[in-house]
Amino acid sequence: MMSDATEQQRPHVIKDARGKRPSFYEAEGLDNLTSMVMVLASELTVLRDRLDASERVAKANGLDLAAGIETLELDEEALRSREAWRQGFFDRLFYLARKEANEAAEAETRESFKQIIDDIAVN
Amino acid sequence: MLNCFQQAPHGMLPDATHDEASRQEFAKSLRGFIQQQLLPGLQPIYEKRVAASYERETGKRPENRHEIRKAMVKDPYFQLYASTNRIAQELLWESTNISIDRQLPELIEKAKAYSAQASSQLDIPEDFVPPRYVSALDIHCMPGGYCSEVTEDDITAGVLYDRGVYLYTMGYTGPDNDDMGRSVCNYLKRNKPDFKPRRILDMGCTVGHSTLPYKEYFPDAEIWGIDVGAPVVRYAHARAQAMGKDINFAQMNAEETRFEDGYFDLVVSHILLHETSGKAMPRIFNECERLLAPGGLMIHADLPPFDLMDPFTQFILDNETWYNNEPFWGAMRDMDQIDLAEKAGFPRDEVRFDTAPMAVMEFNNQSAGYDAESTGEVADRDFTAGEFAPGGGWEVLIAHKPQRKHEAA
Repeated sequence: MMSDATEQQRPHVIKDARGKRPSFYEAEGLDNLTSMVMVLASELTVLRDRLDASERVAKANGLDLAAGIETLELDEEALRSREAWRQGFFDRLFYLARKEANEAAEAETRESFKQIIDDIAVN
Repeated sequence: MLNCFQQAPHGMLPDATHDEASRQEFAKSLRGFIQQQLLPGLQPIYEKRVAASYERETGKRPENRHEIRKAMVKDPYFQLYASTNRIAQELLWESTNISIDRQLPELIEKAKAYSAQASSQLDIPEDFVPPRYVSALDIHCMPGGYCSEVTEDDITAGVLYDRGVYLYTMGYTGPDNDDMGRSVCNYLKRNKPDFKPRRILDMGCTVGHSTLPYKEYFPDAEIWGIDVGAPVVRYAHARAQAMGKDINFAQMNAEETRFEDGYFDLVVSHILLHETSGKAMPRIFNECERLLAPGGLMIHADLPPFDLMDPFTQFILDNETWYNNEPFWGAMRDMDQIDLAEKAGFPRDEVRFDTAPMAVMEFNNQSAGYDAESTGEVADRDFTAGEFAPGGGWEVLIAHKPQRKHEAA
C-alpha cells in the first residue's frame, strides 16, 4: 500500500476524450443508462472469468474451493478491500456522467463539433 | 469465427491484472460482436424499414449518404448499434487507461532506460506546436489525444494507443499491430524487387506499429518515424528498442519536416491522411515530393475514396466522422488524391491506387490465437463497410518520382 502523500504525487492519465459526445436516443438519460448496462455486463464477464480462473487453479492444485467459499468469514481487512473495490467500480459505472460534466465545463457543443468538421474540411 | 487473438507482449506494454485484462478482453469481444452480429442488421433495417418510411414522407428514397443518415438516426435499431459501438470505443480506452494509471511513473522510467540504450536518434524539439486538426478533438475518442502530456517525459498517449489499437482492431493487424506496414513491405518486395531504398520515412507513425516492419524488410536502410505527438514518439523509440529494433523517431509535422530536399527514397504513411485536414493534405503531398530523391516512391495506405461506393456504404463509413471523433474521415474520402499528387509534381501516369494484400496470414502461430484458420478467415473476407480492415488488402496510393523531370514526358 502506498501512503496518501505518495499517491497524490503520482501523475494520472486523462480519462475523457475531447469532443462533444453525440446522443443516440431521443429519451433523456437513455444513453447514460445504456452505457451503465454495458459496464455492468463487462463486470459480469470479469467476475465470470475470475471465478472460472479460480476454479481451474484450485482444481490444478487439488483444492476444494467450493467448500471453502461456503464457510468463509469476512474480517476487517476483507470488508475494507471489498468496499474499495466497489467504489472503484462505481467510478467506472458512471464514466458518462464524468464526460458530460467535463463537456459542460469545456463548453463543447454539437454546434462546435460541426464547425470543426466543416472547418477542417477546408482549412 | 471465435476471435482469440492475443497481443504479443513486449517490454513497454503495461501489466494488466487478471480483472484489467478481462475488462480489456470484454471491450475487444464486444467490438467483434457488434461487427459480426449487429452491423449486418443495418442493411435490411435500412432497405425494408427506413428507406420505405422516408419515401412515404418525402415521395422519394434517400439519394445520398446525408439523406440516409438523416433518416437512419431516428431508427431504434440504428440507435442501438451506434450507441453500443460508441460505448465499446469508450470502454476499450477506459479499460486500458486503468492499467496505465496504476503504473505510469514506472513505465516512464522503463521508456527512458530503453531509449538510453539506443544508438538511433529521438528528436523532440522544445517549441513544437501540434496542428489544430489533432488538438481540436481527441481523435477516435482516445482520451487526451496524441499530444497531451500529464507529466514530464510522458508516454501515456503511446501506451494507451499501443494497447487500445490492438483492442480496436481486435488483433486483425497481428500480434504487433503491424499488418499495414508489413503489407506495404510485401507489396514492394513483390512488385519492385530491385527497389533498395537507402532512407525511409514513415509519416504520422504514432508508436511505430507500421514503421518496424521496414527495418525488418530493409535492414540496411536508415529509417525515420515522425509524428506530431511528443508522447507517442517518445514511446515509439522505447518500444522499438524493447522489440530489438533501432529506429530514429522525431516529433515533426508531415506538412513541413526538418529533412533536406531529396533525403529519402521511400516516403510512406499508414492511416495518417484521414486524420489531417483539407489544407494539410495537399501540403503533405508537396512535402513528400520535396523529400523524395529522383526514382523514389511515395506510398499512402489509407481510406479509399467515396466516389466508387454506393450511398449506403458511404453512410456506414461516414459514421466514424460523426460518432468516433474523426472530423476529416468523410471529407478526406471526397478528395481527388490522384489530382493532389499531380499538383505536388508527380507525373499523372506515375500515380495510381493499388491493393496491398493483408499480411495477416504471416502471423500464423506467432502469438496465442493466431492459428491458420483464424488468420485465413480475416484475410479471406469480402470488404464490408463498418467492419475493421478490408477483406483481402489495404488500399494504397502510389506515386513514383521520375529520375529526371522530362523522363515521364
